[in-house]
Parts: sequence; C-alpha cells; structure tokens
Amino acid sequence: MLAKMYGIYLMLRVALGRLLKLSLMILTCVAICSLAGCDIESLGMLNPKGIVAFEERKILFDTLALMLIVVLPVIVMSITFVYHYKQSHRIRDYKPRWSHSYFLESLWWGIPCAIIVVLAIITWKETHRLDPYQRLAGHPQKPMLVQAIALPWKWLFIYPEQGIATVNYLQIPVGEQVEYWITADNVAMSAFFIPQLGSQIYAMTGMRTRLHLLANEVGIYEGLNTQYNGEGFSDMNFKVEVVTPQQFKAWVEKIKKSPLLLNDANYQILLKPSINEKPAFYSNVKKDFFDNVVQLYLHTYGTIHPRQTNVTHGKE
Amino acid sequence: MLKNLLLGNLSVEAIPFDAPIILGADLFMGMIFFGVLFSITFYKKWSYIWHEWVTSVDHKKIGIMYLILSFVMLLRGFSDAILMRSQQAVAAGHSAGFLPPEHYDQIFSAHGVIMIFFVAMPFMFGLINIALPLQIGARDVAYPYLNSLSFWLTFVGAMLCNASLVLGRFAETGWLAYPTLSELYYSPGVGVDYYIWSLQIAGVGTTLGGINFIATIFRMRCPGMTFFKMPIFTWSVLCAMILVALAFPVLTATLALLTLDRVFGMHFFTDFAGGNNMMYINLIWAWGHPEVYILILPAFGIFSEVVATFSQKRLFGYTTMVWAMAIITFLSFVVWVHHFFTMGAGADVNAFFGIATMVIAVPTGVKVFNWLFTMYKGRIILDTPMLWVSAFFTTFAIGGMTGVMLAIPPVDFQLHNSLFLVAHFHNVIIGGVLFGYFAGAIYWFPKMFGFKLDEKWGKWSFYFWVIGFYVAFMPLYVLGLNGGMRRLNHYENTLYQPYFIIAAIGMVLIFIGIIMQIIQLFVSIKNRAALRDKTGDPWNGRTLEWSVSSPPPIYNFATVPTVSVIDQLWENKEQHQQESKVKLNLHSEYTPIHMPKNTAMGFIIAMFAGLTGFAIIWHMWIPGIVGFVGVLVSVIARTFETKIDYYIDAETVKKTELNYIKGII
Repeated sequence: MLAKMYGIYLMLRVALGRLLKLSLMILTCVAICSLAGCDIESLGMLNPKGIVAFEERKILFDTLALMLIVVLPVIVMSITFVYHYKQSHRIRDYKPRWSHSYFLESLWWGIPCAIIVVLAIITWKETHRLDPYQRLAGHPQKPMLVQAIALPWKWLFIYPEQGIATVNYLQIPVGEQVEYWITADNVAMSAFFIPQLGSQIYAMTGMRTRLHLLANEVGIYEGLNTQYNGEGFSDMNFKVEVVTPQQFKAWVEKIKKSPLLLNDANYQILLKPSINEKPAFYSNVKKDFFDNVVQLYLHTYGTIHPRQTNVTHGKE
Repeated sequence: MLKNLLLGNLSVEAIPFDAPIILGADLFMGMIFFGVLFSITFYKKWSYIWHEWVTSVDHKKIGIMYLILSFVMLLRGFSDAILMRSQQAVAAGHSAGFLPPEHYDQIFSAHGVIMIFFVAMPFMFGLINIALPLQIGARDVAYPYLNSLSFWLTFVGAMLCNASLVLGRFAETGWLAYPTLSELYYSPGVGVDYYIWSLQIAGVGTTLGGINFIATIFRMRCPGMTFFKMPIFTWSVLCAMILVALAFPVLTATLALLTLDRVFGMHFFTDFAGGNNMMYINLIWAWGHPEVYILILPAFGIFSEVVATFSQKRLFGYTTMVWAMAIITFLSFVVWVHHFFTMGAGADVNAFFGIATMVIAVPTGVKVFNWLFTMYKGRIILDTPMLWVSAFFTTFAIGGMTGVMLAIPPVDFQLHNSLFLVAHFHNVIIGGVLFGYFAGAIYWFPKMFGFKLDEKWGKWSFYFWVIGFYVAFMPLYVLGLNGGMRRLNHYENTLYQPYFIIAAIGMVLIFIGIIMQIIQLFVSIKNRAALRDKTGDPWNGRTLEWSVSSPPPIYNFATVPTVSVIDQLWENKEQHQQESKVKLNLHSEYTPIHMPKNTAMGFIIAMFAGLTGFAIIWHMWIPGIVGFVGVLVSVIARTFETKIDYYIDAETVKKTELNYIKGII
C-alpha cells in the first residue's frame, strides 16, 4: 500500500515539475490580464462596496480554495497520467486487470465527502446569516425602507417614510441599513440587483419580495435588472448614489418640493413600455402606493390583465 | 369564415420580408431543403429512402438518423451562437450592434432550445440506439415501432422549431419560457406557441424513447448478463432513461398548462386571478434539472467505455461507478430550487437545496477519480476518442467547481443570471456532454458505417474545439464576476468589450473546429477503403458490440451470445486470442431469426402530430382537428396490424456470417 502511495507521489512530483513551466506561463498571462484589470473599476462582486457583497466575495474565495483541493489534483493527474502511460512510452508497469482498491476508493469517497461537509456547514450558516429577508447581523435597529417597483423597463423607487419617489435613480445614506420591498407592475418577472452592494432578488407582479443591504462607501454604483423580461431588458439600469446622511437629508428635502406628483395620471405614463428613462423625482407619494400595486394583482379576477385596458404590451 | 377555420392567423405577412438576416437564413434553409429533395429525385432514391430509412425500425438506422438530425441542428444552433457573439462583440457603449432586441431575443431563445432539445437529445438517442442493443446482445430494442415513432416525433419537433424561422417568429422568452413573460399578455405572437409545440411533440417522443430503452435493458439482455455484468454505458443509459420517464411527463404537463393559459385564457401562471408564475418555474426546473443529468449520464457512460478501451485496462471501480450513477440519478430530483435561490424562499429551503446540490459533487468526483485510475497503469492509445476524454477531465473539473460555487445561495445571490452562470453551464454541457458525445460518435462510427474516421482531421478539429472552447468561455467567467449579465443585447460599460471580443474569437476557433469535422467526414468517406474496418473490432473493444461485423447485419447477432463476466469480449480475446472470435461466430447451425417488419406508421403519426401542432400555433381549427383525428386513427389502426414480423431464414444468415468471417481471414 505504501509503495503504491509512494509511486503516486513520485509521479505527481514529476508531473508538478512539468506543470511548473506551463503554470508559470499561464500565471504570467493571468498577471498581465489582472494588471490590466486593476484599471478596470469592476462593477461586480470582485469590487464590493457593501457589507453583504463583502461577505459574499469572502464565501466565493473560501469555496474556491476548498474546491481546488480536489480540482487541482484532478487536472494534474489527468494530464500526467495520459502523458505518462501513453503506449508509445512503453511503460513496463501495465496492470490490465487491476480495477479495484478499497483503500483508494475510500480515499476518494472520503476526501470529497469531508470537503462537502465543511462546505455544507459554511452554506447552512452563511445562508441563514445572509438571508436577504433578515436584518443584517449586528444591525438590529429598524432599517430605512425603500420600495422598488419594476416597470417596463425602468425602476420606480418609493421612500414611503419620506413621501418621495424616484425613477431610475436611487439615493441612500452610507452606513445605514436599508430594507427594500420589491414588486413589479405591468412587466414580467425582473430582478433587483446592485452588484457592489450585495444580493439580488426577483421582482414579481402581485408579490412582495424583500432585501436588506448596507453600503459602506460613498460613491455612485450600477443598479440593474438581471432577469430577462422582454425587449427593453438590456436598458433597465439605474444609478445608485450613496451619500452621507446629511447629504441624504438635504436631498430628501429638495425632492419633497418637487412639482412632479406620483398621481394616477403620472403613474399611467410610467406603466407604458419605454427604455432609457431619465431620472425623475416625485413628491407627495401616498404611503400605501406600493401596497396598492401589489394588491391590484391579487384582487383582479376574470381574463383581463389588470393593466390591459390602458397599456398594450408586445406587438402583433 | 372557412378561410379563418382553414388558415387561422396565418397569412403572407408571417414571412419576415422586412428582416434581411432572417430572410437570408430562410433562403439558405430553403435552398438546402429543396436541394436535398431535388437530388433525391434526380438520383431516383425516393424508394430507397422510404424503404430503407423512413420506414425502418432497425435501431442502427434510427440511430444514424438521430445523429444526422442532431448535426444539422448543431449547425443551426451554432449559427445563433455566431450571431450572439458577434452582436455582443460590437454592441458596447452607445452602439446598438446589428441585431435589434426583437431578433436577438429570438436568437438566444432558439439557441438554448435547439442546443438542448434538438442537438444534445438526438445526439444522445442516436448513440444509445446504435450502441445499446448491441452492447446487451439484443437484436433490436424492445419496441422497434415505438422507436421509429420516437425519432419521427423528435424530427417533427425540430422541423416546427425551424418553421418558425420562415413563418412567423420564435419565442422571445429565453429557453425555458418563464411566465409571465410567456403568457398571452406579454407575448401575444406565435413565438411561444412554436416553442410549446415543438417541445411538446419532441418531448412525447423522448418519453416514449425513455420507456422503450428501460424495457429494452430490463427485458432484452442476453443470457448471463445480470445487472452487475452490464457494460457501464448500458448502466448509464438505464439511469438516464429512468430520469427521462420520470421527468419528461412533468415537462409535458407544464407545457400543457401553459397552453391552457394561452389558448383558453386560463390562469395557472398569470400572476392574477389566482395564477402564479412561481409554480411554472418550480415545475419546469423539476424537469429541467434532471434533464441536464439525462444528458450527462450517457456521456459518463461513454467516457467509461472509451477510457477502459483506450487504456487497454479494466474500468476501475465498476461497482462504485454504478452506485455513483444511481446516487446522481436520485439526487438530481432534489436540487431544482438551486436555479432560483433569488426568488425569495427562506434560508432553510435555500440552504437545503444548496447542500443537496453540493452532495452531487461527491459521486461525480468519485467517477472522475475512477476514470483517472483506469488510465493509471494502463497503456493509453491516444486516438481521437481518447483525446476528447482527456480534454474532458480539465473542462469538467472547472465546470464542476464553478457549479459548486453557484450552489451556495449567498454566492448565487451575486452570480445568478450573470455570464459566470452562462460560462458554467457551457463548461459542463460542452466540456462534459458534447465532448463525451463526440468521443462516442468517433468511437462507434466504424460500427455504424464500417470504416473509421480520419485521425489527422479529427485531431485538428479537436484542438480547435478545445482551445476555442477555453477562449470563448473563460472571458465569460471574468465578465460575470465583474457584473456582466446574460442575455444582454447591448451594454453601456465599454470595459466589457475586450472580453466579449476574445469570446467571439473563441467562437471563430470553434467554428473552424466544426468545419474541420465536416472535412474529416468527407475525407473519411473518400478514403473509406483504406479506413475499412474488416474485423468489426477496430479499437480492440471490450463489449459485445465489437463482436459482430461493422456495420452489423440487420439481425445483429447470428446466435445470441452468452455472458458470464463484465467485458466478456475482452475476456474471450484474452483467453483464445483471435481464434475465439471466429469461433464465436462460426456456428455450424443457424436458426431462422425473428425480426420486426418495417412500418410507415411512426412516420405517419408524427406527421399528423406535426400538423396538429402547426395548426394550433396558427389557430387553424380544421387542420388541427384533422391532425388530431389522424393521430388517433393511425395509432388505433396500427394496433389492428397483424403482419408486424417476419423470419430471416437460416440460409441467409449463414451466407452473411460466412462473408464476414471470410473478410477477417
């Protein structure tokens, strides 16, 4: 048994030597690429600006490391075994009938099992800790509420506590937990996502989904829809501006004076399919606006879509 | 009124005269179609095509037809990929690219549907049809006529999907047509109906195929072949077909409910009046997740056969392999929620499905190690099938790793619907499924046609495919990690563009690889005399399919073989060297062989089914009723058929066998 192990070890050593050259080459390429990548301000999970996104990136790297314990040997062995045991190399060590070993097989049932147990524990813990519906760990106080409505193909954000609303523009204070309520109106399932701040969640008509995020750094970030929902999908983006709490307060006061009201007539315009809407700001928003949008779908019976009478979708 | 009942919504306007790209594709498709029809007429081959192929119930011929269908559809699906990659390479910043969203959305929907349903599935059924009955020492499948029906239903499904290019449009909903987007309100056109009916018809064919092969494996094994002496490919097919039989009815039911919503104004998934789209998403993935295992399991089987044959060594850990596959089969039904962790289920649910998903990595990893140790202390012959397998290890390891990463809900909250996900599933479906099927196709090619494929061109195409694959999909991982989403028609961030351009270059490399495969085919046909496989055992095979001539006679085995160990043929060869092979076939006495008769019923039923589907898509009620009644009447008529079999007399068998043996000697 030990001899067998030693044989494998020797082979792996030879293999590693051979692989070193190759990996050096690859590493150089990767280094060049990532140096180039440093200039790129990544808009994704590699460049987190929020507490949730930080945690998620950490889990990504941990998992990667754990998985490489198995994946690297597989890649190394697959290359070396094929090379080493090529028929043309006339290796004497040929055992056509050797096809079973309790030791080896329990090794490769056991090690992956152990890794998966570790991963499973991480998964269970982190999934609960980062459950988008729960308040963030260490932030038990009541968060600020923002209600997001996916519209064709734009986002409407309602700040019910402040009585204001915005289109395709989200401003939030830094360091403060924000709870998002998310739904959709007159558009198929969409998904609310600010990659640098954290998780994404689907937006569905007649349903309310929830999400908790916290931004750590002042700045302007990309917000987007990730779920394909028709022709205007690629343009369903919005800007997220994270500002200091003072700036946020001042901004709210300014928007409260906005002449644009979120009334029925104005909302009907928003319900019409359109792309690349410029940011717009509404004042005097009713507290139950969001609830009414959700309830509308729950309380529509018959065959006529609740928005069919005034807006048409698609084309014939 | 009558016009309406006959033609429904169909009119000349359905032909896309305003879209030059689609019209060009239509003309090209039309040219090929009529070109084929013309040459068949010109060479007076109609009778041959009808009697030898269309009505054939011979599993080998049906298998070849599946493969042809798959390859033709691969070209179509790949054209879609070319369009998408070039669109994304140019549509950065303020550029809108050359494809407007309404075309682009159809293209990515069609790409997914075609690649899964009309490339991967027929490819799989083709290889199974060719190899499986031979591997278990059977003379045909359990239900030969059902087999023919399965193929023609799949064919009709594929043709309906193609018809959407000429008449009307295809779905603009993505390959799974999530409601509410696929409901009448958001998608009023015929696109989703084309989607539904091409999948519905092909899906019924697949279900029947699954049942057929389960019955074949249960009932048709040759004497002595107990379950744990079956070739590993047969095991993999058994697992996959059990999944087919359990999962495909879910697809059929789900699509039927969506049809009720669309055609009869019901509310299963409409999100109002009591409907709920989340139901559809659960149901479609309850089918969709097993579906990917349906594809990969036979590929696992092929890898096992090829690794053992080309390492000239027994498959390592046969029993473990079987149990690993059984575990994968079971687990594939309890992981579907990992496709939509972001729907807002609680942490308990998400964590459960995340962990269940990772657990699949264990048996899969075990299989990989078993293959690696099959090569260990073997004598590896690096022919093209083995090359594909050796490339598979790395691609699949990477794909598996990213899969486990995506299985962790908090990570998925970031990467869901991103290009990282796209890279992951292409990584396992190309690097796992397709590489496996290519290996299988080259491996069994001599069994199908009696000559090997050209090695030189095969190797070149292999290198282009593999390198092209990495160049095309590794940039997508980077893009996904940097916030690049899937299905984007255009994107504002110009920093993404270099990566998309690299991906497009990869696509060109793969394209060259495909062209080389076509060249390989032509070169091999030209040199077929030199590549001829006289012995029927060109690779020094281990299983029964290599004990008969290439291509095998219609009855496969003159005398039904008996099996007492795994790899019976290899054992025989070990014991008696070459003579046994002759002995195995040289029997002084032959008995008449009972065979199924050809029937046109499969073809006819499928054509009626196609008519029904097409008619419902366009709301043409008279043709719809005609088609539906046609299906019913033909099915019933077939049950009254009594002359469904015949005997090949002993003399003919003897002559055929002697010819084969003379060829060897």
